[in-house]
Amino acid sequence: MLISLNWIREFVDLPADLSADALAEQFTLIAAEVEGVEKIEVGAKGLVCAEITSLKPVSGTDSTHAAELNLGDKTVQTCTNAPDLSVGDRVVYATTGAHVNALGTINDTTVGGLPSAGMILPGDALGVEPAAREAIFLSPNVAPGTELPGELFDDWVIEVDNHSINHRPDLWGHYGIAREFAAIFKTKLKPYPVVSEAELTSVDLPEIPITIDDGDACPRYSGLRMTGVTGQPAPLWMQLRLGHVGIRPISCLVDLTNYIMLELGQPMHAFDGDTVTGIEVGFLKPGAKFTTLDNIERTLPDQALMILSDRKPVALAGVMGGADTEISDETRTILLESANFHPHIIRKCAAALSHRTDASARFEKSLDPAHTTLAIQRFVTLARDEFAEFALASKLSDAYPKPLESVTVTVDPAFVARFMGHPVTREQVTDILTALEFKVRRDGDNLIVDVPSFRATRDIEIEADIIEEVARYVGYNNIEPDFPEVTIRALDPNLQQRIEKRALQLLTQSFGCCEIFRYLWYDTEFLNRIKHDPGPCITLRNPAAAGLERFRQSLIPGLLSAAELNRHHLDAFRLCELGTAFPRVNNDHDQRRHIGMITALKSKKAEDQLLAELKGLVDAWSWQLVNRPATFTPADIAESRQWENSPKTAAIYIAGQDVGRIGIIPLELRRNLDEHLAAWSMAWAEIHINPLATLDEPPSKLDAIPQFPEVELDFSALVDATGHYDGVRKQIAAFGDDLLRRITFVDSYEGKSIPDGKRALTFRARIGDPSRTLTEEDLTRFRAAFEKHLTANGMELRQ
Amino acid sequence: MDIDQLQQTLADLEAETTAKIAGITAIDELRHVESQTTGKSGTLGQMLGTIKDYPADQRGQVGKILNQAKGKLTGIFKQAGDRIRQAETSAEASKASTFDPTLPGVRPPLGTAHPVTLVQWQVEDVFQRLGFMIETGPEMETEYYNFEALNIPALHPARDMQDTFWMTNNMLLRTHTSPVQVRAMERHGPPLRVIAPGRCFRYETIDASHENTFHQVEGLMIDKNISIANLIAMMRLLLREVFGRDVKARLRPGYFPFVEPGFELDMSCLICDGKGCPTCKHTGWIEILPCGMVHPNVLRYGKIDPHEYTGFAFGLGLTRLAMMKYGIGDIRVLTGGDLRAIVPTPRLTGPTIKPESAGAAC
Repeated sequence: MLISLNWIREFVDLPADLSADALAEQFTLIAAEVEGVEKIEVGAKGLVCAEITSLKPVSGTDSTHAAELNLGDKTVQTCTNAPDLSVGDRVVYATTGAHVNALGTINDTTVGGLPSAGMILPGDALGVEPAAREAIFLSPNVAPGTELPGELFDDWVIEVDNHSINHRPDLWGHYGIAREFAAIFKTKLKPYPVVSEAELTSVDLPEIPITIDDGDACPRYSGLRMTGVTGQPAPLWMQLRLGHVGIRPISCLVDLTNYIMLELGQPMHAFDGDTVTGIEVGFLKPGAKFTTLDNIERTLPDQALMILSDRKPVALAGVMGGADTEISDETRTILLESANFHPHIIRKCAAALSHRTDASARFEKSLDPAHTTLAIQRFVTLARDEFAEFALASKLSDAYPKPLESVTVTVDPAFVARFMGHPVTREQVTDILTALEFKVRRDGDNLIVDVPSFRATRDIEIEADIIEEVARYVGYNNIEPDFPEVTIRALDPNLQQRIEKRALQLLTQSFGCCEIFRYLWYDTEFLNRIKHDPGPCITLRNPAAAGLERFRQSLIPGLLSAAELNRHHLDAFRLCELGTAFPRVNNDHDQRRHIGMITALKSKKAEDQLLAELKGLVDAWSWQLVNRPATFTPADIAESRQWENSPKTAAIYIAGQDVGRIGIIPLELRRNLDEHLAAWSMAWAEIHINPLATLDEPPSKLDAIPQFPEVELDFSALVDATGHYDGVRKQIAAFGDDLLRRITFVDSYEGKSIPDGKRALTFRARIGDPSRTLTEEDLTRFRAAFEKHLTANGMELRQ
Repeated sequence: MDIDQLQQTLADLEAETTAKIAGITAIDELRHVESQTTGKSGTLGQMLGTIKDYPADQRGQVGKILNQAKGKLTGIFKQAGDRIRQAETSAEASKASTFDPTLPGVRPPLGTAHPVTLVQWQVEDVFQRLGFMIETGPEMETEYYNFEALNIPALHPARDMQDTFWMTNNMLLRTHTSPVQVRAMERHGPPLRVIAPGRCFRYETIDASHENTFHQVEGLMIDKNISIANLIAMMRLLLREVFGRDVKARLRPGYFPFVEPGFELDMSCLICDGKGCPTCKHTGWIEILPCGMVHPNVLRYGKIDPHEYTGFAFGLGLTRLAMMKYGIGDIRVLTGGDLRAIVPTPRLTGPTIKPESAGAAC
């Protein structure tokens, strides 16, 4: 929100020696964040009020007019592009030789052959950015020729971060900001300049009938009928302040409601008084149509609170008025609405219509109901100075079915000091709160604090809220840092976190993988490219973009798209990601932690090698992680997963559990991914890591060094290439012998000197006797027995 | 075989052996020939076994002749051995003279964790030293933990501050790591000290400095008499440890419904040293650490009595921290998957010749 310091100075004397930046810093440190400070420096000299007495288009131009101007003591002609001018309008005019910073010195020129003296200045040259190309119109109260003092146009504007005042409805107006400044600089906040409420209620005029159906939805509705208003412009100072804080001046009536909203935070709405008589506040059926004053026909959502007059809807409560009852230049009587609505109702309605307005944004912050009448009092105060024939046409009428409950908080100053970790006395607490208009009284050691209504709508409820007020005025940066005294507790470890961190450290620090992050959702375009249909997925209601609604069931597609990127500048790489996957195994709420890996090498024929290396990597990783091997078995594969759709896919088992899949990336998928990847070899693995988190530490005993030497014997056997190592492993594991210490797998070989359809597996047997040295006979006997076992199991021995 | 013949045979053997080993350059081969010659079952070894076949009066002489021959042959083998070892030693020495001590080694594949993970581990180390435990929470979260238990009821304007990804199963993607606060309170009860790093999601338009996916670390400490002064001390310590030096910081009011009071901790901009630059929007300060005293309602949601315990909580943007630490200008590269942007180049390319500093930095 933009704040004009000229405006603030109307309510509080700011220290003259402090720069706007210094003021902003103080505000940031004590109240709310100032995001920017801007100086408005128009540098105006020689500006006067000019009345347009005639207006003629300049031939040969699109939109230029020659205007004859009455400057009081003389008449001049100027050419102007300003839109919407009419004879009789009074505008801000720069005389010949005048100056504004944006345009420099204003000289006489000729336009289309016509002499043009001085210039009707556009809004942006006068610091009124929202009226960029338009003239600034002046009220009929300003006589032609009146000099407009230059300092009127200059100001400082600070921008307060909206998020930082979301909880402070009182800071959504200049008067509330001024109150904080007064407390910061320990000076007095000037009373809000208004006519008394009694003056408006004691007049001998009729009441406006106001009916409220639901006091929760509309706790208060105040109204006042006024007459003698016109479509004239607002006073220049008001237009300038509005312009400085980003609001385009429109007419005195509209500007007044905007001005008071920006001053007090209370939105108001002016109905054309001829079109609205009594007021009813109630809900309409959803689906009804209503045209708002921006001339858009809107379909009412559920729970739309409406203002009605004679049973006809005239305004969407708290959001926007209706087109039929809108004020115009011809309006001479208005009915001014100043109401308080339930924040949730306004928020829901504005959200349902996707139509947040300045008014609805304020109502949803829980406004002070005391402000409804105060804002009307302020309106009268300002309006009667402007409109020559201004008169009241009703009593100040007020329906207040649900008065605000007062908030009183008991505060223990000793607790305040303890909670802050900083000494503070009862007197200090009292002084700080009193400066912020809290009422404080003593009750023994405690203080009883009455919260002012503008802080009592939601902001201040409990002692901690009061502590915040005290602490920020003590100054957060005056509190001495102090380390806490701690209680030692051994909390149960988070096993999942522990395994994930270790798993990732091993992959990245020991096994050569580079970690990447991908999004949680699939990119449909990419899935189409790799021809993968994931089937039903958990989806987003509001995806970041169309095609990004489905949650990933596997990390592999994300890794594949990263692989495609990296093949451009690397010849070999290993990628890994640790992240959440949503496989929908049990139900819609499944979320699992997966590790995905892709290894790639720019070489056509290396996929077996890559797969063997990746299997070895997974096995070594498993040993390091959970002190157990990873084994591989034939997998049930989901053919729709293009990366699994290869005979070279295996299931990964760790500690007897099926925890993942491993395989090569088939040629077709590589080609679909990127034509160039056809010349690469790629392997992948994906592991569900949650089951590993809770594995016990397995018993792990170390062997003593044998007293007598042991001997290793290698055996090579031919098996069917279509068979599985796992089957052979089981057959070999069935062999027993007193001397046998261990049998290990050495390697698997296909190729030269091996017959087609066969594979050579090499095993190493270690034998020994704990009580003696082995003899030649032992070796011979063992070799024969083992070879017999292999042969009996259908293996052909290879020499 | 008579003695003359024997002597002739031995002379032949000697000549033959000498010739045979002349060309041998490997010790193993020499040992092999030696065992074939003087070994138990070698030529000479077998001849020693024939002594008993000679008439008793010749046996002494034959033994003497054979022993002499064995001595001679042993000498020949020893000499040859010396020659070979000498040659090997000088070959190694001559090879060593072309050894280049400066040549880089052959590197196994060099992996690395993601920059955000590296920063996360660093923060975890700091807090583990202080006795904080590391907690985690789910990325797909319930409305209850993400909002309600954090004192953000439905229709609260603060829900605007965290535009949320909603899922069709009525879950949401957590908008911050703060849901772990109440989860940790429920799991451990008071007093406790935990941090909870993790991934968060907000419905935002992506550009160079905004992502819909980012990392935070949540911190929570609850004990009897935890004060604002404690919070300030811990936050300053955190900054010093993470940045490796004293960092100028300031605390100012900030609003988060789950803390009361709430603070924003700004640190002096490291890019411009607080003088003002585009990174700090010319303020000299960078908003780095939103924090505050845990709201009594949140303690109640975590089944902790706010009259007995107080606590503080903070949230640190790990993504922002990583970008500052590694000089990453565009947030999008962190989820982009292109290793060039997230792995120091020399780790990818192998030994780097130019730029020279690249090697030293990594």
